[in-house]
Parts: sequence; structure tokens; C-alpha cells
Amino acid sequence: MSLTTGPAAPQAAAVDKSPHGGGKAGRNRRGNRSLSKHNLTGWLFSTPFLVLFGVFMLFPIVATFLMSFTDFGARNVTRPLEAEFVGLDNYTQLFQDDKFLKALFNTGYFVIVGVPATIVLGLLAAILLNNGIHRARTLFRVGFYAPVVTTIVAVAVVWRFVLDPSDGLIASLASEVGLTAPDFLGSETWAMPSLITMAVWRNMGTVMVLCIAGLQAIPTDVREAARLDGAGAWQELRGITIPLLRPTLLYATVITTIGYLNVFEEPFVMTQGGPSDSTLTVSLDMYREGFNFFHMGYASAMAYVLFVVIMGITVLQLRLLKDNTR
Amino acid sequence: MNRAAATGSIALTLASALTLTACGGSGGAGVAADAKQTLTVWAMGTEGEKLGDVAKEYEKTHSNLTVKVTPIGWDVAHQKLVAAAAAGKLPDVVQMGGSYLGEFADMGVLEPVDSKTIHETDYFPAAWQQGSYDGKTYGAPWYVDTRVLFYRTDLAKKAGIEKAPATMADLQSAAEAYQEKAGTKWGLSIQPGGLDTVQSFYQFLYSAGGAIIDDDGKAAVNSAAAVKALENYGSYFDKGLSEKSVRPGYDVTKDFNTGAVPMFFGGPWLTNLIDENYPDLKGKWAVAPVPADVASVSMAGGSSLAISADSDHKAAAKELVAYLTGAKGQTDWFERTNDLPANTEAWTTGDLADDPTMQVWRQQMDTARATPSQPKLTEITSKVDTAIESVTQGKSSAKEALDKAQSEIEGLVQ
Repeated sequence: MSLTTGPAAPQAAAVDKSPHGGGKAGRNRRGNRSLSKHNLTGWLFSTPFLVLFGVFMLFPIVATFLMSFTDFGARNVTRPLEAEFVGLDNYTQLFQDDKFLKALFNTGYFVIVGVPATIVLGLLAAILLNNGIHRARTLFRVGFYAPVVTTIVAVAVVWRFVLDPSDGLIASLASEVGLTAPDFLGSETWAMPSLITMAVWRNMGTVMVLCIAGLQAIPTDVREAARLDGAGAWQELRGITIPLLRPTLLYATVITTIGYLNVFEEPFVMTQGGPSDSTLTVSLDMYREGFNFFHMGYASAMAYVLFVVIMGITVLQLRLLKDNTR
Repeated sequence: MNRAAATGSIALTLASALTLTACGGSGGAGVAADAKQTLTVWAMGTEGEKLGDVAKEYEKTHSNLTVKVTPIGWDVAHQKLVAAAAAGKLPDVVQMGGSYLGEFADMGVLEPVDSKTIHETDYFPAAWQQGSYDGKTYGAPWYVDTRVLFYRTDLAKKAGIEKAPATMADLQSAAEAYQEKAGTKWGLSIQPGGLDTVQSFYQFLYSAGGAIIDDDGKAAVNSAAAVKALENYGSYFDKGLSEKSVRPGYDVTKDFNTGAVPMFFGGPWLTNLIDENYPDLKGKWAVAPVPADVASVSMAGGSSLAISADSDHKAAAKELVAYLTGAKGQTDWFERTNDLPANTEAWTTGDLADDPTMQVWRQQMDTARATPSQPKLTEITSKVDTAIESVTQGKSSAKEALDKAQSEIEGLVQ
């Protein structure tokens, strides 16, 4: 990391410092000898966390993994040991399951369209609020952030009103000017874009807050120097803002991608996966298989496929996007 | 189903369900009915809220009892019951939705109904059937629910419709007349797709003499009668008499009030809802039995009351259930909730016997059919939902869609 990102990139800077430099090995050896005394206190303090982590994180992760190799169903809730070991059947079946493949496709669609839109709009909002709009800045910041902290149920009520094909906001506006609005949630073509729009609206606030923090860490003299050299707004954005914001944008992209790969709430409250499964996502399919039909084994396999996909994409993103900052 | 459960919590619930399985309970020792004890009761939705009042009344005559009622939202009910069943921690008495019973009976967590105190002949046949699984009865019928035709009488006059449609052919011509002559937007509101579309379809299916699962417990959803019923159902969408667009959370009473929808099939709770929300509509609408195809047969829903197999208070629980499902308890319950009594004797007095509207429900209940208790009922009906949607959206013929559903359901019935 030779590029001098300075305070604009606190995360990047932190990675560069190696806290265990120098006599690392020696210190470790000494630590091992007095393990009992020093570490006991440490263990005591960590125990509450470790217990909670074990019960609520580690155990479910392991249990789900084991379950994904069985035909665990409703009967087995009372008789878990009767669940039959089926090897990789759940996994092979998944990739022949049209519904799951469709859910995978829909989730991909959500990510490919949703992530860039969320990042770009979040960044634009941040730049606008950091520089452009001087009056009522706080009001706008709160306004853009409000959707992030609003419960999905309230959000759903508002968006149903906006999207309603007969007397919704968009339909009414369209009919004013003599147009007919499409039936957003009832049409296979429009349902997904409608949900993505809703998700972008809900999540750009998070990206905006991250970007504002990043923007404020860019030293003003860098900008002033650029302006003195005659850089316009576009050049400033391309040459200074975006490069210096890169770590922030990388972080925002990764968390947004993970969030959208897990997308569940929007289709769950707005369309229930319909019409004709056009908004069925992997998480929603998993929920249905697991809790409506009690195919616990099958749903667990789905969870692991989703996990591998998320892991793969995240690693890929970190590789591709981080390289440039080196 | 509600509401926002994130993926994290799914994993969590999955896991906790598993943890809980470690400690399954065993049969209770049994406390005498007149001993001092606390009975726990779980009930869903409105029933859960109103049952508390009844419990207080009941305690007055049973001073040894404390009846603790916990209301549960319908949206979380299924998960909560499964988790409790797995942990051996079901309450002494629990409300069972018709579609749940097969699953829980199959898990072996319910106590069979005591045939000495609760008699099959006291109840509507469909209500009794819903409480039964695999030849045994596990749920005492508590209240029933069926669907009848709601229609606008004022608009019917404009459309030149003189009496409620009596046959399926009448129904379609009425829908056309409403649309053409009375200028309504739609003719009949039926669900085009999505979860539980099958509930809209039952009226057509059963009236045509079809079924999803026949009396022998075999999948029968692609029978000639079922195909005919689905063709009829689909024709409303083809002809633009019903709205094709799927709208989750759609409230039909709003459009019924404005006149955009002049006819729909609805349950008993809608009567009060319309009266309360749209008082101006009074006198402008009526209910009629489901129009006959081969016969007039509607669906039967509702709930029964079951006793946990692990309960230590079975004796007292049986008495409570016998009271709630007996004629006196049912009459009282109707006055509090307007839930239709499952016990036919309750229909012989008061409003239930005299009110002409109530007679429509009563008549419909006599022939109503229940969906058979099956452990995988939710999954089975979801296959039918998919078939219906592909027909209403014009993607496949009724025959093709039902053949596909049939082959899927064959693997799911027990």
C-alpha cells in the first residue's frame, strides 16, 4: 500500500501497521509459560461471549451443516435421530430443482442491478450533501437515512400505496398525464425492478453515511490544490474523490452485495415470491422449504450453497477491487 | 405470516429447533380434575384475545383452576407450535388450525379425543373430519368457517339480475351482466395466484365434484371434475371478469364498497368487517350459497382444540375442552366472536336459528368439505396454488397444470 491515502483511508492505514512486529516470537514463548495465570483471567472475561457464540453461532452452523446431509423433516423434530443420512442427495437435487435455480437467478439479478445502483446513488447523495446543498443539510441527511432505520412493515405499507395499480401514487400521476402505469407488483417483468428500487431506496442511506464519513476525511488542501490547477467538478470526482474513497467504496460494495445476496424481507412482505416465482430469492425459497414445508435438510443444503456463493463473491470482490489501491 | 425474519434468525430458529429436540418430554403423570392446578392454553388471533374472558368466567365455576391463556399471532403460530412440540412443552390445551392437525398428530404430540365426552354426531361432518388423522380424532371441533357468495344487491338490480346465482353458469353470466350493465370494473373477485390461492379454488373444485385428495387418501387433483373446475376458474381471467394481477394483502371489501368488485367468496368474519367499516353499504348486499355445479359445496376451515400428549392436567383439560366445544359454550362463544359454532346444537337457539343470513352459513356448512389431514398439507396445497396460477396467467391449460400437480402430489401424500 504505497499510495499515500492518508487519513482518508483509516481502514487501509490500519492494515499496514503491524502491531506484532519485532520480537513477536519471543513474546509468544514467554506468554506460553505463564499461561495458567494470565490466561485464566482472559478466559474468564471471554467466557460469556464464547458461550453465547457457541450456542447461537457455532452450534447452528455445525448443526445446519450436518442436517444438510440428512432428510430431516417435520417428523424428526421430535425424533431427530431417525433422520436418515442421504449423503450429497440434497445438494445434487438442488441443482436439478428449477425453483431453486430460478431463485438463484433472481438473487443474481437483484445483486447485479441493485448493488451498482445503491453504491452510485449513495455516493452521489453523499457528495451532494457534503458539498452541494448548504442549507437544510441535516434535514436531507436524516431524510435519506430514515428509510434505513424504518421497519420493513411500515416501508411495505408506503410502497404498496406508491405501486398500487389502481389508485396508487404512480398510477394516479400517470393517469393525470394520460398514461397507464404498469401493474408493478403483479407483473413478472416489473415485480423484480420494483423490489430492487425499494431496496435501493432503503439501503442507499447506509452507503451515504459511510461515504460522508470518508469524504470528510479527505483533506481540503488536496481539493484546493486541484482546483488551483484548474480541475473541474468531474475531474475532481474522478481524480480525487473516488480514488481517496476507494476503501470506503470497497467496504460499502462488499456489505451491500452480501446484504442483497441474502435478500428476504422485500419479496417476503411485498410479493411473497410471486407472481409465478418471479421474485423468489434464495433466502425466501430457503424459508419456505424450511418452515412451510419442513424440509430442514434440504433448506440447510440451500443455506450452505448460499454461503459458498457469498464467500466466493466476497473474496473475488476483495481481490479485484483492492488490487488497485496497492 | 409475518413478519420480518432475516436469514440470521432463520438459521437461529433452525438451530434452536434442533437444540430443543434433545429434551423431548414423556407422558404426564396426571393430576385429578378437581385438584388445584393451572391450565395453560394457547390460542391464535382474535380467538386468543377473546378466550381470556371466557377463561375468567370458567374459573368462577371451577375455583380450583387457574386458566392461563396465551394469545399467539397466526403469523408465528406454526413455528411456535413446532418448536414447543419439539421441546415437549406444548400447553395443556392448544388451538389447532385445520391445516396443522395432520402434521402434529403425525409427530405424536397430541392426545386422542375422549370419545366418552365428545361425540362425532354433535358436530358438522367436515369439522369432525378436520380434527381426525389416520382414523383417530385428535382435535375437538371448536369453530368452523366456510365460504359463501357475497354480492351487491343494488348493483344487481342495475344489471338486471333478479336473484342470487344458483349455478356456476349463472355465476358467470351474472359476472358479465354486472360488468356490462352495471358498469363494475370486475365481475367476480377470485385470487389469481400466490399463497393459498387454493382457498379461492375450493368452491369451484368441490362444487364440480373434484378433490385434491380423494376419500381413499390418494392424489386426485387431475380428475375430470377438477380439470373442469379449473377451466371454469380460468375462464374468469380469460374473459377479463376477474383481475389477473396478484396482489398480496389485497382487501376485497374496499373494492366491494366502491362497487369495483360486485361479487366475491368470503368467510363469516367479513360480515362484521363490512358492517363496521362501511355502514353505508347496509342493505345493499347479501350472501348466498356457493352456486352449484354438480352440487353446492364450499370449503370448510376452522379450528379444533387439542390436548397435549405430555400434559399433566389432562383430566381438567378435557373438562375445559368439553365445555368450550359443547352447545352452551359454543353459543356463548358465538356471541363473543361471531365464530360459527362447530356444534350443531348451538344452532338451534337465538340468532343462529332465526337470522336468515346465518341460515346461509348453516346450510353451506352441512355440505362443506374439509381438506384431509395430511402431514405435508401445506406443501400439497402449494402445488395446487402453482397450477392455478399458471392457468390464470395463461401459461398452461388446466389439464397440463393439474397433471403436473398430480405427479408432484402423489409423492407427498401418506
